[in-house]
Amino acid sequence: MNGRTFGWFVAPSVVMMLVFIAFPLVFVFVQSFHATQSVFETVKVESCTPGFLGQVCKTEERSRPKLDAAGQPVRETSFIGLAAYRTVLQPDAVWAALAPGGGGWDAVMAVDFYRALRFTLTFTLVTLPAVIGLGLLIALAVNTMARSLRGPLIFVSLMPFIVTPVIGALSIRWLFMGDGILTAALRWMTGSHISMFAQGWTIEVLMLVYRVWHVAPFAFVVFYAALQTVSQDALEAALIDGASRFERLRYVVIPHLKPLIVFVALIHLMDAYRVFDEVVGFSSEAHRISLQFLTFNLLTPDQAGNRAVTRASASAMLTMVGVIVLLVPILARAWREQRGRA
Amino acid sequence: MKRLIVAATLAMGLAGPASAACSYHNTVPLKTLSAAFEAWKAVTSAMAECGNVQSELDQEFRRKQPAAFAANPSLYQLGGVSNGTIVPLLSAGTIRPLDDLVAKFGQSLSPNQLIRVDGKIMAIAMSVNSQHLMYRQDIFAELGLPQPKTYDDVLAAAAKIKASGKVAYAMGATFKPGFDIGLDFVNLFLGFGGTLTKPDNTPSFNGEAGVKTLNAMKAISGYLDPEYLVSESTFVQKQFQQGKIAIAHLWATRAAAMDDAKESQVVGKIAMVASPAAVAGGKPASTLWWDGFAIAKNIPDSEAEAAFRVGVAALNEDMVKANNGAAVWLIKGFTPARAAEGAIATAMAGAPPYPSTITMGIAMTAIGDNAADFLTGKKTAEQTLAAMEAAYLVKAREQGLVK
Amino acid sequence: MNAALRLPAGLRLVIGVFVIGWVVVAAFPLLWTAVMSFRVPADALSGNPLDVLLGPRTLETVGGGLGIGVTFEHYWAVWVTQHFYRNLLNSAVVTFGVVTISLSVGTLAGYGLARTRSVLAFWLLVAALVFRALPHSVLVTGYVPAFLNSAHWLQPLWDWGATGWLFHPFAARAPTLYGQPLAVIVVLVAINQPFTIWMLRSFFENIPAELDEAAQVDGCTAFGAFWRVIMPVMWPGVITAGLFSFLLAYNDYLVTALLLDSQSMTMVPAITQFLNRDSRASEQIEAIAAAVSITAPLFVLVMAFQKQIVAGLTQGAVKG
Repeated sequence: MNGRTFGWFVAPSVVMMLVFIAFPLVFVFVQSFHATQSVFETVKVESCTPGFLGQVCKTEERSRPKLDAAGQPVRETSFIGLAAYRTVLQPDAVWAALAPGGGGWDAVMAVDFYRALRFTLTFTLVTLPAVIGLGLLIALAVNTMARSLRGPLIFVSLMPFIVTPVIGALSIRWLFMGDGILTAALRWMTGSHISMFAQGWTIEVLMLVYRVWHVAPFAFVVFYAALQTVSQDALEAALIDGASRFERLRYVVIPHLKPLIVFVALIHLMDAYRVFDEVVGFSSEAHRISLQFLTFNLLTPDQAGNRAVTRASASAMLTMVGVIVLLVPILARAWREQRGRA
Repeated sequence: MKRLIVAATLAMGLAGPASAACSYHNTVPLKTLSAAFEAWKAVTSAMAECGNVQSELDQEFRRKQPAAFAANPSLYQLGGVSNGTIVPLLSAGTIRPLDDLVAKFGQSLSPNQLIRVDGKIMAIAMSVNSQHLMYRQDIFAELGLPQPKTYDDVLAAAAKIKASGKVAYAMGATFKPGFDIGLDFVNLFLGFGGTLTKPDNTPSFNGEAGVKTLNAMKAISGYLDPEYLVSESTFVQKQFQQGKIAIAHLWATRAAAMDDAKESQVVGKIAMVASPAAVAGGKPASTLWWDGFAIAKNIPDSEAEAAFRVGVAALNEDMVKANNGAAVWLIKGFTPARAAEGAIATAMAGAPPYPSTITMGIAMTAIGDNAADFLTGKKTAEQTLAAMEAAYLVKAREQGLVK
Repeated sequence: MNAALRLPAGLRLVIGVFVIGWVVVAAFPLLWTAVMSFRVPADALSGNPLDVLLGPRTLETVGGGLGIGVTFEHYWAVWVTQHFYRNLLNSAVVTFGVVTISLSVGTLAGYGLARTRSVLAFWLLVAALVFRALPHSVLVTGYVPAFLNSAHWLQPLWDWGATGWLFHPFAARAPTLYGQPLAVIVVLVAINQPFTIWMLRSFFENIPAELDEAAQVDGCTAFGAFWRVIMPVMWPGVITAGLFSFLLAYNDYLVTALLLDSQSMTMVPAITQFLNRDSRASEQIEAIAAAVSITAPLFVLVMAFQKQIVAGLTQGAVKG
């Protein structure tokens, strides 16, 4: 296929990605170095609010945004360099904390960004082996079942994966929140009342468990499909060599699955790194926040109706850096292959 | 265009036959966005009776409203606002002064309902609201406890109730991070005589009043369901209804639900009284709020007129009589019932109005995002207050309020 | 199977117990939620599991059979009183739009990418992979102000003669994109393109290139070869990619919640509106009933297309 025909085939897709993904990204990048401020003026104003019977009127000095002739607030945009990044990363606070006599780890964790980073990394790195391990176990187990059972088993296993994520999180939450059925069950088993939403670590455990529940079926299906193509000859050869069941698994089956394990790990890394639904679904923001939630939260208008757009852009860019670090090894490998092909 | 027609026919089909109950027959398609509590359910269904009105009731309206009203043309003609949520609209200049409309069509409104900012009428109030004390009078009577007048009384009563084991948790509180816990802090902070900001717009949370406030909240948290950090008004309301708690400082708009036999197991057992004071002899540690509506600026005058007339027509005597318990209405026909007693007592005892200022909005955000760190023990009181001030200053500088 | 490969009884037992355990864990939360939706609040929110399972108070107040209380009042409230069918219609429009556009644009690009060796294609795929990993909230919150004010900044396209003739037949003025299902469809298609083109590319790579080369020798254009020769053997791949587009559009929360208003709201964000409104216990069960209503079509979908879903999940993997 020549370059021109190729261009026509991919054009619609590329245009859409440029307009809705690449362009906003560039915009966010530029925005992270600029601040937009309202111009305020101090005025004496009378304001009245109702009491139950009468009205309370007060005249006082207040700051209010200056409006132009058309009634729009006057705004000024200026270049601020890395100031927004400094506000997000707070290098001074980190130095102070790490200096002798500083607050150490706890003081670093008091900065939202590091708190979010800590949780996001823990979330990603703990769920990764759990998803792969559980997925593999289910795949191996289902593979030993009678053929007639496998269809229904796959069907049931797919449900946690296919169900709307928000609803999945809600249904788990309904089971645990307050006097939910599983909280009651835990109390019955342990004899003491454990409130799952009362402290950070239980919420964190719940979030991890939910994600593993949600994604393990994906790993299972991929591994199960690959198990169907394991070479029977290799297995029998190993058997003749006197390999035990475990050795056959270790030296024949796992190497066969290896590219797929890498694939599942890659997809899971990307998805877990942008964890967001769990924070919303489990209302964990008092205890645990993720990087994507941090950005989202900065973009949500506060009680005065303002979005911290610049800081959000900076935090989004820092999140991006993390994505790229995560992808570098995979991209490097793909690049080597491409060079080999060309 | 096609979508407009579909929406219009849907709206007419729904609202057409019922328009007899509304004094104004509306022909302009209108959309409203407001909070979702009982009073708004009543008012928006009264608006629907005027014809061609589509209402969106959403507790997330706080987040949606500023952007939706800033659009040109505005996505909604009429917005439900309160003294907290009107601030973003005022500072963005997206709602219009109503003086001329009030002069033309507002004869039925009482002067008390006109919200004036900067000398101009910017909103029409329909009800007042405040948080006030609710407690289980049956339990208090059994244990021989008097009505609490101060927070010390409340904590003393809570200790006895906890010891008696009559309820699962002695108290309930709206300690969910964000707006809920922020307002609890502000109520107590003002009660302890604190002022949130200095005249130059810099913060002054970090002082004696702040430490006292946090300690009082910590003391309260000892009597709560340990999951108190996910607890907002609905959560506390349910705890009361299911008989799990005995004392809470809760919104007046939730009072009627306590006596709803379909939902509540404690009908008639909850006393509604004024908020306790933070210090003995002080004013109630609560703030007065109003709810009402404002009209968007970025719409044609004909739509604004229709929206205003629909709004005024909906605030009528029949609506109030049918929903007497849903709010402390400022409208003719309201007879203060049991559910309104607490809010009225709080107002009469001189609780201050919640200030509709930008600095207040920023302060609330900074406080609401950080207060929980003290309760969970992550930070000391001083560290928490310093973090609040730092968060406030970052925002205020970003907006240009503080140089 | 070889006798030596057969499992000993002890291991079989362990595996059996494990599989049963997994089935319970996988199905329980969803089934339990479904059961709750058929009970009155007093039963559904009870701490005693037997109350939820048997619904004694539901039996007393509403009715049921075989000693088990069942009520459909929450479904009635959701579908009839609250007009949830409107959200269903909106979901249908958005999902249908996303699936058709996503497949048309995606198959073209996937085929192009599978049949070229240019470095450009490599970088395109890498870019798509990075886009696939992007946190969506970053992009989507950026759209909100642009969509709200689109009537303002799109107007020049309508006023300018060179483009005006093209747009005028659709609308007299530039539209506000916020709340328009079409705008949301385009955004969802764009956000899901990276995944779609990766998956379709690997399907196309499995089709021997000799097939379309032969067609081109016979005088077909590149597009002709693609359409007449390749597409007919590509249907399994297209159906699979379509299923995934369907799931992504149907399940989306972030985009639809931020960019649609109440009239055009799809089902998933509408649920959170139910939840936000819950000042009554019965409204919470209504939210649960709505959640079950949303999940039911997914059940049917998995039953009908299980093979394709499994194929799709593995297909992306083969070349990974």
